Amino acid sequence: MAKNPRLTRRAFLKAAAAAGVASAAGLQYARLARASQPVGSSEHRWAMVIDQAKCTGCGYCTQACRAHNDVPPTIAWNRVIAAGQVDGQPVFLPRPCMHCEHAPCVEVCMVGASYYRADGIVMMDYDKCIGCRYCEVACPYGARAFNWEDFTGPNPAVPQWGQPEIARRPRGVPEKCSFCVHRIDRGLALGLTPGVDPEATPACVVACPAKARVFGDLNDPESEVSRLLAQNPHYRLREDLGTGPRVYYLPARQEAQS
Amino acid sequence: MTLPQYLLRFRRPGPFWLWAGALALVIAAAAVGGVIVLWKGLVVTNLNDLVPWGLWITIDLSSIALSAGAFLLCAAVYLLGLKRFQPVARTATFVGLIGYSMAMLCLFMDIGQPFRFWHALVYWNTHSVMWEVSMCIMCYFTVLLFETMPIIAQAEWFKSRLPRLAGWMSRVHHYAPVLALIGLGLSSLHQSSLGALYGVLKARPIWYKPDLSVLFILSAAAAGPAMTVLASMLAGRLTPKAKVDDSLLDRLALVIGWILVGYLYFRFWDAFSMTYTYWPGRNEGLSMLTSGELSFNFWFGEILFGALVPAVLLILPRFRRIPWVRMLALALVVGGVVAYRWDTNLVGQLVLLTYLPTEIVARYTEYTPALVEWVVGAGIVAYGLLAFSLGVRYLNIVDHRQLAESEAHAPSAPRLAPTPAGD
Repeated sequence: MAKNPRLTRRAFLKAAAAAGVASAAGLQYARLARASQPVGSSEHRWAMVIDQAKCTGCGYCTQACRAHNDVPPTIAWNRVIAAGQVDGQPVFLPRPCMHCEHAPCVEVCMVGASYYRADGIVMMDYDKCIGCRYCEVACPYGARAFNWEDFTGPNPAVPQWGQPEIARRPRGVPEKCSFCVHRIDRGLALGLTPGVDPEATPACVVACPAKARVFGDLNDPESEVSRLLAQNPHYRLREDLGTGPRVYYLPARQEAQS
Repeated sequence: MTLPQYLLRFRRPGPFWLWAGALALVIAAAAVGGVIVLWKGLVVTNLNDLVPWGLWITIDLSSIALSAGAFLLCAAVYLLGLKRFQPVARTATFVGLIGYSMAMLCLFMDIGQPFRFWHALVYWNTHSVMWEVSMCIMCYFTVLLFETMPIIAQAEWFKSRLPRLAGWMSRVHHYAPVLALIGLGLSSLHQSSLGALYGVLKARPIWYKPDLSVLFILSAAAAGPAMTVLASMLAGRLTPKAKVDDSLLDRLALVIGWILVGYLYFRFWDAFSMTYTYWPGRNEGLSMLTSGELSFNFWFGEILFGALVPAVLLILPRFRRIPWVRMLALALVVGGVVAYRWDTNLVGQLVLLTYLPTEIVARYTEYTPALVEWVVGAGIVAYGLLAFSLGVRYLNIVDHRQLAESEAHAPSAPRLAPTPAGD
């Protein structure tokens, strides 16, 4: 039964070469199939500014978001969190998805269901997602909520807070804020300016009665977000992590309370 | 034999069929549970947005760790040339095949879109640790299938019914060294990156360190062979079908003891280095392990009875030579790795960090598996036990007299080192 060792080696090298070609083809395919677009190749760079001095914690943003994005009542893409007091006045922290520049959820997603759009928005491909929840474990902001059960029946936020504009997500995938990407894209197609024209602006921004939320393009120095960030002290959540959130907060300060 | 006669045999079942029947009942209950999960969704579990990974992920991680004997023993036999361990490697390969299939069953239950499991093959995010882990697991499962083929082909009932297929399948054994090499590569990758999967998450300070990958592969290197040796010893005592050469198992038990010492050394520095500086979330996690709700698991399950005591029992010949002490020690090692996976998975989720601007503080949450999680988990374990029992009975997977025959099958296996004499 003694085998010619040279033949074995040749067969082995052949197999190794075939495996190499296959993995190269696979990597090439992975590059083509990758959903993320090169960030910065878009002319826009969307961001949100939330003024905590103005936020009253009314929760209209949460409700408007639930209606326009058809979010189940058990989930909030946009939570409003009580964040202590300044000068005896309660302070609130509304928390959408941060749309991080270096998003942990995008980095860990094995199938690339979480991805970057060229304008910086972190998107979810609900048809690709297998529901492993690694993104949920990785997100430092708790911005993702998993659909543990089917959402059937009427949405209690509809019609009082608006009409659904996107499809419901299936059971078994996590969902999160998209900066109302459908409103931005449709608005741009109609020649509107997101952040200025309500039809092209995220529903939470439009619904805020205190005008605490501002949305716009950081690439446009004339935009309201650029102006606010240039003129006011601001911060982002967990900047120590290096995630680079696209949601900026103007803090509630004592002198602002007078 | 006519059918009624055949059925009459089961009127007074022997101990094997009682055992198999009991396992089948557990599996049937789990199947009902599985259908409920697929039908109602994961809402029937106690998993939630704060603790998305629970009991099933623990069983998944544990099954993979307990399968590590396969790649280690195959590497020892076919790459280092320690050929006398070949029959044990054979058992380990079968245990590995069962373990990885258990892990895949767990994942099928755990993911939200189980019927999209094939997306992992088609859509690649090569940057994700989980992509690397799932690719390795799928490839290594294929390797294990090939490595198991000659074992099935050796079974008399298979050979007599499908002689040509059996001949083809036993020829796979020629490639055992190549398969061992591929298996070593794939396992070195994913056994450690299962730890790295947790270790890369910056948002979870108790996980966020390179140590986890080292500790995961070291604990698997101890517990995987321990599982194989324990299963072989148990089979050797419970059924005449299993033929055990105790000198092989004794030698392996000693090696396992020393691997445990290495694991404890790294484990000590991993825990000790966390005590120097306060890091929000990390120290709270460590306290949860050392004095909080996971402390019993940590001190008794993982450290004392999971590593320290079995290391002593396995290294000192006076204890190791007593069969029941050795089996007890090996069972403790197996329990220790399960406790380690459970604690590690949970501690990073039960301690939450706030993202409020004023102060980053730790908050706590809780998780207790729901009944359906226990039932499905028990069913997956029962499947593993049943598969092993059937393997012992019908595939002679614990048979240490096989060496001479198998050597004839593998003439090209390299002999790099002389077989060491016993201690």
